[in-house]
Amino acid sequence: MSAPAVFFPRTVAEAVELLDAYDGSAKLVAGGTALTLMLQQRLVSPEALVSLRDVPGLGGTSVEGGVVRLGALVTHTQAARHALVRAHLPVAATAFSLVGNAQVRAAATVGGVLAEADYASDPPAALLALDAEVLAVGPGGERRMPIAEFLVGFYQTTLAPEEIVTRVDVPALPPTAGSAYLKHTSRSHEDRPCVGVAAVVRSDGDGTCRDLRVAVGAACDRPLRLVDVEAGAVGSPLDDAAVEAVATAYAERVDPVADVRGSAWYRREMVQVWVRRAVHAARRAAEHTTNDQREGAVL
Amino acid sequence: MSDDLSQVKLPDDDGRVPVRLDVNGRARTLRVHPTQTLLDALREQLRLHGARSGCGVGMCGACTVIIDEQAVSGCLTMAALCDGRQVRTVEGLEARDGTLSPVPEAFLRHRAFQCSYCTSGFVLALEALLAADPEPDEAAVREAFSGHICRCGSYSRIMAAAREVAGIGTALDVAAVETRERA
Repeated sequence: MSAPAVFFPRTVAEAVELLDAYDGSAKLVAGGTALTLMLQQRLVSPEALVSLRDVPGLGGTSVEGGVVRLGALVTHTQAARHALVRAHLPVAATAFSLVGNAQVRAAATVGGVLAEADYASDPPAALLALDAEVLAVGPGGERRMPIAEFLVGFYQTTLAPEEIVTRVDVPALPPTAGSAYLKHTSRSHEDRPCVGVAAVVRSDGDGTCRDLRVAVGAACDRPLRLVDVEAGAVGSPLDDAAVEAVATAYAERVDPVADVRGSAWYRREMVQVWVRRAVHAARRAAEHTTNDQREGAVL
Repeated sequence: MSDDLSQVKLPDDDGRVPVRLDVNGRARTLRVHPTQTLLDALREQLRLHGARSGCGVGMCGACTVIIDEQAVSGCLTMAALCDGRQVRTVEGLEARDGTLSPVPEAFLRHRAFQCSYCTSGFVLALEALLAADPEPDEAAVREAFSGHICRCGSYSRIMAAAREVAGIGTALDVAAVETRERA
């Protein structure tokens, strides 16, 4: 293997130009936590490393028209702690805060975790439950993809080799929504998830479900959402039986992977358990926000 | 494509690229393989052995270094991509006259280790935390210590040392406890 050249482009356009010139044989580097490992294990042998570190404008977090914009170079630590993320996307803040450990979160980025599309990760499920959109820039300009279309399989995205994820746009949750991200680890506290579940619940004052979103991560090749199951729960009370029916549907329809964190059988069992718990947790959170509002609390 | 060579590092005949680093306040220039980890570069080229190789996958914390005030895993960082950065290792916490900074001093006082393989990682994690937040609470300390494994199980002493330096509550006086146990 010949040694790769190293580039520090100063603009997104320059970075795209480099990726295009190397025609699929260059690797883009953001935080580098995943790529460094793959290089050490010789899983990849790129002809060039293109670092994004000197490209300005990719590290910001802002809110615009009810949509939180996360720059591709925002680190997991920054995403987990940012006031806008905590206020409007608490389920994402939780998911980012639970990745690996403090050193990994200090380096790993929002754009990196999506572009890598590692199934055993926390943020993708949360961002899927939040209906996030991925913005990517390539030689033909910018395009925007719902995350459900962006993540297509095991470490697979619809990103072209010469495209760069520049931003993730995430619609803010309504203040009356409750949400939760629950991570189940099977080996140690700081492990990757065996199963991670993000849930969003919004109900009327009388308990009628108005919105339910459930995304199961780490259990299969990409985060799983069953929009027909979600829609089926809307319009009636989200009582314990209804929650159980949702959990059962996810457990039945997931196509679980088997790895060191659990067999396929075990994962299916855990999907049932953790979907139930996550929806319960989101429902409780929704009840609190509704009560707070009724009592006129200033949010 | 820009012709500015500071933005491009082509490998030489040995497959190496130049890297300029500020290591513990001293400017260093080295030549590394582009995919070489910072941990390897520090240990093999600069002979700084304070950062240790443990798990090799960013889970144990033994290889922790501080880059531009952020504690990160040296095994998950490529040296070539650190060009122009400030790197601090545990060796940088010792002054020329041998005086230690307050964190390693507290670890020694509390004997917060047995084999000490993890110690530099814990020490640097706390150094980075205190630089960012001089008055952290215990939750912040525990978060900073996530991803740091002490396989000897000296956690209670490590936390006692950390609480003392961070000024959290009353640090457990291990010596007093031992005296009481002996009595």
